[in-house]
Amino acid sequence: MNKLILLFAFVLTFGIAGAQSRFLTKDAKINFNSSTPLEDIIAESNQATTFIDIEKNEIAFSVLTTSFKFRRALMEEHFNENYMESAKFPKAKFTGKIVTPIDWKSEKMVVAEIKGQLTMHGATKDMTIKAQITPGKNKIIATSELKVTPEDFKIAIPSAVRDKIAKEVTIKIEAAYAPYQQ
Amino acid sequence: MAKLKTFRIILWIFLIGLVVGLSAVYYVFNKPRRNVSKETAAFTLDAKQLISDFKIDEAAATKKYLDQAIMVKGEIKSVRTLDNHSMVFSLEDEMEGVSCTVDSADVVSNSSKLSQLVKGSAGTFKGRCSGMLMDIQVINCVPE
Repeated sequence: MNKLILLFAFVLTFGIAGAQSRFLTKDAKINFNSSTPLEDIIAESNQATTFIDIEKNEIAFSVLTTSFKFRRALMEEHFNENYMESAKFPKAKFTGKIVTPIDWKSEKMVVAEIKGQLTMHGATKDMTIKAQITPGKNKIIATSELKVTPEDFKIAIPSAVRDKIAKEVTIKIEAAYAPYQQ
Repeated sequence: MAKLKTFRIILWIFLIGLVVGLSAVYYVFNKPRRNVSKETAAFTLDAKQLISDFKIDEAAATKKYLDQAIMVKGEIKSVRTLDNHSMVFSLEDEMEGVSCTVDSADVVSNSSKLSQLVKGSAGTFKGRCSGMLMDIQVINCVPE
């Protein structure tokens, strides 16, 4: 009987310690495209940090706005100084809950719905985004594409250049998570 | 005859003005990217100091260091190469330390220096501070 309790305790301790619930990457890729026929506007950052908690089914994603790289230095300057006001609001982040059930033990790609809040430029908006999530024991891959409207985040675009910037900005995300030990 | 001469002069002034104006617009539009490696660092400090500044008051530290050219020194805890061939050196702590990113073009031009910067050695990088997520990020870095 004692042995059984011991065995049970052993399984419990190591079972829990062995199960990794948080996955992390600090090198997630994020790019956005707000091109119009008048102007190509594409920017990319490889320095987004993101977590997935597979027990709570939660996801968090954040990126520093000054880490975006544009084709032209001038665009980068306008983006940081006039539109995102990076000195005042250096981060953009999304936190949400994965509402589609996912079997984290399988290795099958799932198109999941994530309900959460996107915060940038000091404004927060409720959003439901779709992501392709491929679970794995030592790696989780997630990709997503979402559209945002600058005006929803109080980003004022002068009317003189309004036609050069897309009404809806397409954001693409690619992340490969690894187990995170604290 | 005199009228024609004045007209010619005005035309020339106008043409020169146009060329100067257009080249100014062209220059501003295509202005070169900021090259932090050629700037003098606004702050030279230990990675540990930078980490403690951000831990004590993130907002104040962000205000102080954001977009500044900084030179930071610390023990290298991890070295990673990303898909786009840029390299990330984490100083003092792999997760919550200072991450210095060297762009792929600078990886090529500094390859001999970078090859000596292995895990456990001391590294000094100059770059542009872009703020803190989990770690403090310094981008467009070059090794010193």
